[in-house]
Amino acid sequence: MEAIINHKNYRQSLAKFQSLIALFLLCVVISLLSDKFLTATNAWNVMRQISVNICISVGMTLVVLTAGIDLSVGSVLALCGAITAGLLKNGIALPSQNLYIGFTIMGAVLAGLLAGSLLGWFNGWAITRFKVPPFVATLAMLTIARGLTMLWTKGFPITGLNESFAYLGTGWIIGIPLPVWISGFVVFVAVIITNKTRLGRYIYAIGGNENAATLSGINIKKIKVIVYSIAGVLAAVGGILVTSRLDAAQPNAGTGYELDSIAAVVIGGTSLSGGRGTVLGTVLGAIIIGVLNNGLVLLNVSPFWQQVVKGFVILIAVIIDKANSKND
Amino acid sequence: MKAVKYIIALVVIVVVAYNSIYFKKLDEVKAAATAKEFNAAQYAQDFWNNELIPNLNKAVDLSQLSSMLSADANRAFDNYSHALGIGNLRYFLVSGKGIVAVVNDDDMVVTLRDDTTTFVRTIATEFIFGNAVRDATGLININEFKNTMDFNNVSAELNRIIREKVLPQFKPVIKKGDAITFTGAIEMNKAHPDLSHIEIVPIDVKIVPR
Repeated sequence: MEAIINHKNYRQSLAKFQSLIALFLLCVVISLLSDKFLTATNAWNVMRQISVNICISVGMTLVVLTAGIDLSVGSVLALCGAITAGLLKNGIALPSQNLYIGFTIMGAVLAGLLAGSLLGWFNGWAITRFKVPPFVATLAMLTIARGLTMLWTKGFPITGLNESFAYLGTGWIIGIPLPVWISGFVVFVAVIITNKTRLGRYIYAIGGNENAATLSGINIKKIKVIVYSIAGVLAAVGGILVTSRLDAAQPNAGTGYELDSIAAVVIGGTSLSGGRGTVLGTVLGAIIIGVLNNGLVLLNVSPFWQQVVKGFVILIAVIIDKANSKND
Repeated sequence: MKAVKYIIALVVIVVVAYNSIYFKKLDEVKAAATAKEFNAAQYAQDFWNNELIPNLNKAVDLSQLSSMLSADANRAFDNYSHALGIGNLRYFLVSGKGIVAVVNDDDMVVTLRDDTTTFVRTIATEFIFGNAVRDATGLININEFKNTMDFNNVSAELNRIIREKVLPQFKPVIKKGDAITFTGAIEMNKAHPDLSHIEIVPIDVKIVPR
């Protein structure tokens, strides 16, 4: 009997640390194959690159915890980045009043974040008000936001933003890239929300059993709208970071980011059926995806094969997740 | 207590709004923007008059270059080509004298001779695009430009000058058998030089007595 319990405990520990073990093994393998991998410069590059994915993935985690999905984050990222860049560079002209409304960096960033929250709110509203499946509602938003980005940018990149704005994506504070600080702050707040607040408990409750959550008096519609709005804001944060880092808003920015963020969430151990998972697990998942991307590039693997490898990693992560759910 | 909350919220909103947006007269903003705007057409015209044309005598003879590319391509690239950064696309400023063999709608084929060999080369006469003219002299530095769009616009304007001013000078009158002298720019991939498809973007073409 004791042996069975020990075996079960061992398996639970293994399941708990599976992402960490996977990351460790990945780092060992890549560092053996490439002498450039274990260098400080490369480590900061990887951290800087995954900062955007961490921001988006944290939002995606909250959505997935409610048993939802948000496919629009890549497009929302592009639109919010474009809005920020457009307002910062061009402002708003009102020819009839001979008036020009200019935006400071703070104003443009706030406008981008507001746009993200509105787009997220719209997702949540469509899902809760009209019972549109999250997959379909956010797929629609993916197209809508991409189209709006094209309209806003007229299909051209918005370039030549100012240097202070570029500092957001390229600056360093106390030897650490600013995007890493920003994503760290996002993670900190998300961990507090999920572990220490009523909203966090409601999110887990809705994902665990929506009917039970309804019967216990949780305003499911409100919580879902809040969660999708947060995901929109975090996609906007990602968009602002990308725009700042490139010193340009590209109309096709963020294409495929939704897949990377879903991959980070799944690899991090969050169940796609909701109710189970952690923000820190997602951070680990994002780091794994980032290290994998970086390693494949350092090893000169063709971009086509990189996609194949990433696909298999996601598939394996889901299979392990299913096996864990069964054991639980 | 509620009133205090509202007042604090209002103060925060006002402070944020004050630091977020500002107002100006649209006329003033437009005037300032126009003054600051990069004028690619003017830059290209100045470059054409003051840099490109005075330096055409530095162009390498295309017959000699063709021979050298066949014999020792690396030396030809190292001595005569220009490029931006570390890419394989290289540009040569070339000149030559040849006989027009064929006149097509979009280009003309010219035969050139050096001491031993005859080369057949094409001069574009309709579709002028790319960065060959801008980059072949090596005189334009990308770091002078605020952004790549301005830099690319210089190419577009140089190509426009060729379409509007260079081509009309010879295209309507050129015919098979004419002897010409020419100066132009060519693009070639250093890693995979294809000597059979060299197209010259013309900068100066003159019909001369045979």
